[in-house]
Amino acid sequence: MAEVKNKEARIGVFVCHCGTNIAGTINVEAVKEYARTIPNVVVADNYAYMCSTPGQNMIADAIKEHNLTGVVVAACTPRLHEPTFRNATAAGGLNPFRFEMANIRDQNSWVHMHQPEEATEKAKDAIRIAVAKASLLEDLIPKSVPVEKAAMVVGGGVGGMQAALDLANAGIKTYLVEKSPTIGGRMSQLDKTFPTLDCSQCILTPKMVDVYRNENIELLTYTEVESVEGYIGNFDVTLRKKARGVLTPAEAEARGIVGGGCTGCGDCATVCPVIKPNPFELGMAPRKAIYIYHPQVSPLIYTVDFDACVKCGLCVEACGEKKAVDLDAQDELITVKVGTAILATGYDIFPIEKKFEWGYKNYDNVITSLEFERLICASGPTGGHLVRPSDGETPKRIAFVLCAGSRDNTGVGRPYCSRFCCMYSLKHAHQIIEKIPGAVPYIFYMDIRSFGKMYEEFYYRIQNEGAKFIRGRVANITEDPVTKNLHVNAEDTLLGRPIDMEVDMVVLAAAIQPAAETERTRRLFGVSCSQDGWLLEAHPKLNPCGTTTAGVYLAGVCQGPKDIPDTVAQAEGAASAASIPIHRGEVELEPYFAQCIEEKCAGCGLCVNQCPYQALSLVEKDGRKVMQVTEAKCKGCGTCGGFCPGGAIWMQHFATPQIVAQIDAFLLGGEQ
Amino acid sequence: MAVKKDYKDQKLAEKLRDRKYYIPDSNPEFLKEVEKIGQTAAHMCYQCGTCTGSCPSAPRSSYRIRLFMRKAVLGLEEEALTDPDLWLCTTCYSCTDRCPRDLAPTDAIMAMRNLAFKRDIVPRNFLQTVQLIYKSGHGVPNNDANRAARKKLGLDEEPETTHKYPEYLPGIQKILDHYRLKENADRILAEGE
Repeated sequence: MAEVKNKEARIGVFVCHCGTNIAGTINVEAVKEYARTIPNVVVADNYAYMCSTPGQNMIADAIKEHNLTGVVVAACTPRLHEPTFRNATAAGGLNPFRFEMANIRDQNSWVHMHQPEEATEKAKDAIRIAVAKASLLEDLIPKSVPVEKAAMVVGGGVGGMQAALDLANAGIKTYLVEKSPTIGGRMSQLDKTFPTLDCSQCILTPKMVDVYRNENIELLTYTEVESVEGYIGNFDVTLRKKARGVLTPAEAEARGIVGGGCTGCGDCATVCPVIKPNPFELGMAPRKAIYIYHPQVSPLIYTVDFDACVKCGLCVEACGEKKAVDLDAQDELITVKVGTAILATGYDIFPIEKKFEWGYKNYDNVITSLEFERLICASGPTGGHLVRPSDGETPKRIAFVLCAGSRDNTGVGRPYCSRFCCMYSLKHAHQIIEKIPGAVPYIFYMDIRSFGKMYEEFYYRIQNEGAKFIRGRVANITEDPVTKNLHVNAEDTLLGRPIDMEVDMVVLAAAIQPAAETERTRRLFGVSCSQDGWLLEAHPKLNPCGTTTAGVYLAGVCQGPKDIPDTVAQAEGAASAASIPIHRGEVELEPYFAQCIEEKCAGCGLCVNQCPYQALSLVEKDGRKVMQVTEAKCKGCGTCGGFCPGGAIWMQHFATPQIVAQIDAFLLGGEQ
Repeated sequence: MAVKKDYKDQKLAEKLRDRKYYIPDSNPEFLKEVEKIGQTAAHMCYQCGTCTGSCPSAPRSSYRIRLFMRKAVLGLEEEALTDPDLWLCTTCYSCTDRCPRDLAPTDAIMAMRNLAFKRDIVPRNFLQTVQLIYKSGHGVPNNDANRAARKKLGLDEEPETTHKYPEYLPGIQKILDHYRLKENADRILAEGE
């Protein structure tokens, strides 16, 4: 504890106009004059923009000229400019923690815009309270902690993969954690990508191989995050490696099986008698109880679905001398230490059957766009032949329903725009025109949002290829029970005429929502989410990759709907942000730690259990027990300080005498 | 304001009249009143057409509920209230069920009908219905064909309503009198003759 006794307090007060933001409501001159009358204040001034260079210089100069012991700036919020004014305080030769801010803008002039007199009085109160605290502030020294030279990326889709590759290529050991048996994510399920129409797998698999081969990446598939402890620079993450039932060559070697382990030959799956739907194909193709999702998985290691496995042992026999199959495998917990972490947990498709008027799961020939991707994909369940689920016929008239569950304020669907459905539906229209002679796509839309580079040009192209655009949201769909054709009912709002369009197939561009595990994962890492469940960035414009938890960053759709280019760009941003503390090697923590006043501490230990961060412990000192704070773990929340029956805990920067002085200053109106 | 040209021929003048939308054509109070009476945020309509696509009247008439929502937003009171289509809504509430903005277009229509009635703009058949309700307690009173059908189904000829219990009719009449509905219906019908 920096026990520098305050000599006589000498405080400078600086009132900011913030242009007209403050001065338009509050009488700043009157406030300044009042400040001069507050005890301990030796200088008070005002200025149009205290955060500007001349404003900051005013502070530094006044500290030197008047030999100040504390600085109060009445302006906006600490969130915005506390660092600015701390720097100015330091430039004047004072410890930066001898600065106190009075918020007279966000919590005053902006909310009391129509009550200038009351607002001015409130500003005087705020300054008097801040002066009371500033008079008792002490020198504090921030603490630096070393940063573990390793990072973790949670989620192995294209965003997570890109983030992991960037971190690894910057020389950082990176753990890439993926819950499913392979990396690749949603992008590996897509056939082609807009607007370039490259084959999704073709551009993704090289990246998957890069990830697998990169020496700095430790790929942990079929693994989930179990718990997270610690803070920026020093996260201890416990991972659950789910029982895979199949050994990699390295794991086999560790068990003394020379030349063994899974080679991905597939002999096991050939003999396996259990058949289950393949979730990668959205249930439209079978897999065995021992399986890979698709031929291009990375790592190419089979996985046993123990919920389905009957443990007949045929796979063990088929594997033979490689001895890769271990039907007695158990989950395994491992703990790794990382300095920073990136969440890239992605999205799921909204269960569009909840909008029952469109008949998904009720009518055979109503499918989702992701199912369309699998059906049109050459490596999909139909070998790339788009067929009607009802009869296997090739559809000729296909309706695309945009905003299916997006932009929906009923409480059933999702209120936001899912952002890439317009573009992939245009791509789908192109694909059926290309693959099926005479096929006509009918696109039911409200707005076509083709906002990206070359996207509007793509829209132009698809319109030119013959896609029909109908501006109207689909009201409902009915099925002809004999032909299984569908009647799409809507209004062509441009004609102002209702439509009943009989089509062979309907593709719903279903909304997206945060992946099922997002909520659990974000809680483990202490990350907030917005109302709709997407993870909350530190600032929507100026810090879109960071979170309010230091050392945790976001990449891709988990932060909000975005397409592949935006996901990759954000992943690279997140990787860059996550590498900064690691490359600096240490991070500075705000010195708001609890401190034990050992003479007063009775060693009762009650505080130890109160601490939400496990930052406190009891230690032997001079033959008796006293509490000790692990400063790096302490967040300065004050739980222990408020609780200690003996008043033996000193909360730096928020000490009891400082807070009591603030309360006195408010209640007594400055009278002593 | 609409530009007027002096055509001698009345028919031609009507055919070629300026149909542009000018700001003075709009009454912002109209939207507020529709929202207050209808208890729905009509200004949040994004004109997707789900309402008209769901509407059983739309395929058989020129009634477009989406356009009435639009007229409410733009304050086109005169156009909305004098449009005979206003009375073609069957109040089935399909549009309200499906509106993605969670609005109640049906209730906006009912609000406009209220406002129209205040200005004596009501189709005669609606007023005659009022008279029938006053007289019998039914908008569509029982008739011989219906009685025969009921008998065939093993029901009483008269339903469990004012038809069977005419002693409750004064109660209904009291309500209609309180709102001066019958009085106004009689008056408007008489004036129209």
